[in-house]
Amino acid sequence: MRLARFLTRFWADRPLALKGLVVVALPLAILLVSLSLLFQASHAEEEAEDDVRRAFAVQRDTYQVHALLAEAAAGVRGYVLTRQARFLEPYRKAEADLPPTFERLDGIIRDAEIRNRFERIRTLAVRKREGLHAIVELADARTAHAHNTSEIEAALVANKIVLDAMRQEIDRIQVRENTLLDQRLRRVEEVRNRFLFLTAISAVVGLLGSLAAVYLFSTGIVRRIGNLEDNAERLAQGEALTELPQDADEIGRLAQRLVRASALLRGREQALRESEERFRLVIEEVRDYGIFALDPTGVVTSWNLGAERIKGWTAAEILGQHFSRFYPDETRDFLPARMLQRARERGTVEDEGWRLRKDGSRFWANVVITSLHDDNGQVRGFAKVTRDMTERRRTEEALRMAREDAIAANLAKSEFLSRTSHELRTPMSAILGFGQLLELDEETLSPSHRAAVQQIMKAGRHLLALINDLLDISSIEAGATDMSIEAVDLDDVVQEVHALAAPIVATGGLSFQLEAAEPGLIAQADRRRLIQVLLNLIANAAKYNRTGTCVRLAYGRNGADIRIEVEDDGEGIDPSAASRLFTPFDRLGQQSKTRVEGTGLGLALSKRLVESMNGQIGYEAPAKGARFWFTLPGVQPAQMPQKD
Amino acid sequence: MPGPLITPGELVSRRILVIDDEEANVLLLTTLLKREGYTDVHGITDPSRAMQAFIDLSPDLVLLDLMMPEVDGFQLLEAFGRHERADEYRPVLVLTADTTLQARRRALSLGAKDFVAKPFDVIEVALRISNLLETRLLYERLRQPSP
Repeated sequence: MRLARFLTRFWADRPLALKGLVVVALPLAILLVSLSLLFQASHAEEEAEDDVRRAFAVQRDTYQVHALLAEAAAGVRGYVLTRQARFLEPYRKAEADLPPTFERLDGIIRDAEIRNRFERIRTLAVRKREGLHAIVELADARTAHAHNTSEIEAALVANKIVLDAMRQEIDRIQVRENTLLDQRLRRVEEVRNRFLFLTAISAVVGLLGSLAAVYLFSTGIVRRIGNLEDNAERLAQGEALTELPQDADEIGRLAQRLVRASALLRGREQALRESEERFRLVIEEVRDYGIFALDPTGVVTSWNLGAERIKGWTAAEILGQHFSRFYPDETRDFLPARMLQRARERGTVEDEGWRLRKDGSRFWANVVITSLHDDNGQVRGFAKVTRDMTERRRTEEALRMAREDAIAANLAKSEFLSRTSHELRTPMSAILGFGQLLELDEETLSPSHRAAVQQIMKAGRHLLALINDLLDISSIEAGATDMSIEAVDLDDVVQEVHALAAPIVATGGLSFQLEAAEPGLIAQADRRRLIQVLLNLIANAAKYNRTGTCVRLAYGRNGADIRIEVEDDGEGIDPSAASRLFTPFDRLGQQSKTRVEGTGLGLALSKRLVESMNGQIGYEAPAKGARFWFTLPGVQPAQMPQKD
Repeated sequence: MPGPLITPGELVSRRILVIDDEEANVLLLTTLLKREGYTDVHGITDPSRAMQAFIDLSPDLVLLDLMMPEVDGFQLLEAFGRHERADEYRPVLVLTADTTLQARRRALSLGAKDFVAKPFDVIEVALRISNLLETRLLYERLRQPSP
């Protein structure tokens, strides 16, 4: 049993080439063996037949010897009686024929006993011939001498004895030969039977060999290939493979590779399933987006929690229904079909509009439909992502209204400023206008009236300056300024400011210094407002510098910005007050201590102006005096639009 | 060599219409103009009557306020423009307390020839008035065939 298993195992493990060789060679070898056996058998039969033929030949020749000698003896006897020479013919024939006959017999006799007797016969034959020869001579002599009859009789008698002895030997040989012939014929029979038997055996063995080859072929190859094919089919169907013995030949290796491929496929399938499962879970759990799938005709095939939350239907309620039921009456007839058609044509389509919930209420939806294709490019369905935008739409609406309100409020504010400006300036116009008319005609006034007009004009101008600054600040804070930011050539602006401010600076007996770090600096600013800021700072420097000698205006690059400084060498500013410099109406106690005019709004206004030109403004204390600085965004010369 | 093109006497006899809802302002301007020697100065404080006065008086120069109740200066500028012949040069000097850029642009685009913010310098206004009148006179001369 173990041996059988071992052999089966051994056979299965041989390579296919060897198996093929064995399957073809086995019947051939058996055939060859059968043929050689047959050849041997036929050879044995031939030998046996030879023996038989030889036995017959020996019998024939011994009879011939006997016959020749008997006839010769009879002839001799006749000659003796008749003296006629024709009686001697058999004698002479025997003389001639005996030697070749003996020779032939000598060549074909194999049996030892027969050879013995043959040798004796040959001796007897020689004696017989000599006896006959002697008789013939005696007879010839009697012709001449008729007295030797007794001698002849004696010779005849002797001859007869020899012949009898010979006949006896020949009879014995015949007996022996007959025995031998019988044996040989039996052997021929035997050999023939054996031959027939071998032929039958060969046929049977050859048949068995072929059957064995077919069996081996079947077990070793055909059946296993069949199994392999089954497994390949299972692999294609994604089923588990049948376990096959792990043979070491090609088919066995192929089977093992199939097993490996199957394992690999199963692993991948598993990974894919897990990935799909994870993905499905993610999609199902998404709550803010309704994500669901449609088949090519628009029937819902999947449904996530988001869809349930947004639309109200559970998956069980909606699966299998057509998605057109999400559309309100006015769009249901055409929009769903159009959406699918567009998704088919463009791959994806987006839409915003009213959709229905399960309870019939409407929501404002953002919908994206994407067509899904199979490997052949055929549409196999659609993915639909729906967002509830109702809240956002409401927010947008609210925002839009708020924006409109803000714009309206802004307009109202501008209108208010404009009116206020008008309402405040109009009376000022009358006050200052008439005051000016009085000044023009001052020679007609008494000195006290003249002084009164001067006070009116001074207070009026102060009030006007206050109104202007206040309106400026208000309009900036209301975002209602007329800022027009452009590229401004600083050299140009500074020249203009110098011309405007020189009289103010000169009034205080101060010198006016300009320092440009480099020529051609360009800033992004509103030219008019920039001049306003510069004049304000310079006027401040001139007004409050009563102990120094100069006002200095310097400007240069500071990184990407332009930095402008206005500095004086006067008494400077109390450090404790520096933080309140840009606060409206905070004149740092100037109004009580000094006679310097001012609205208290100049720096506050400058700060707002600089900031609305995207710059910064500040104060720093130099070794002596005060220094105000501000920055503006610079423009690289290359960025300047070319002027014609 | 002819004498100066325009004599002061020619200027001061020109008719000037002042339109402002604020009586003080009308008085200020008429006082200023009379002081400068102008003899034909008319003041209107009711803007609803301004258009009729413009038609009736056919002034050589209009001094116009912008912010007025019922009919404002912009509407009047438009009305003047519609009434005026295309080849007429009848200057309007806008005097307004609304100093915003928008107001300035709108007034000038509606045909105002000059723009002065209130409160104004009386001397400056007097000079602008004489300039505008001079321009109108020169324009008239160009249109009339030389004697």
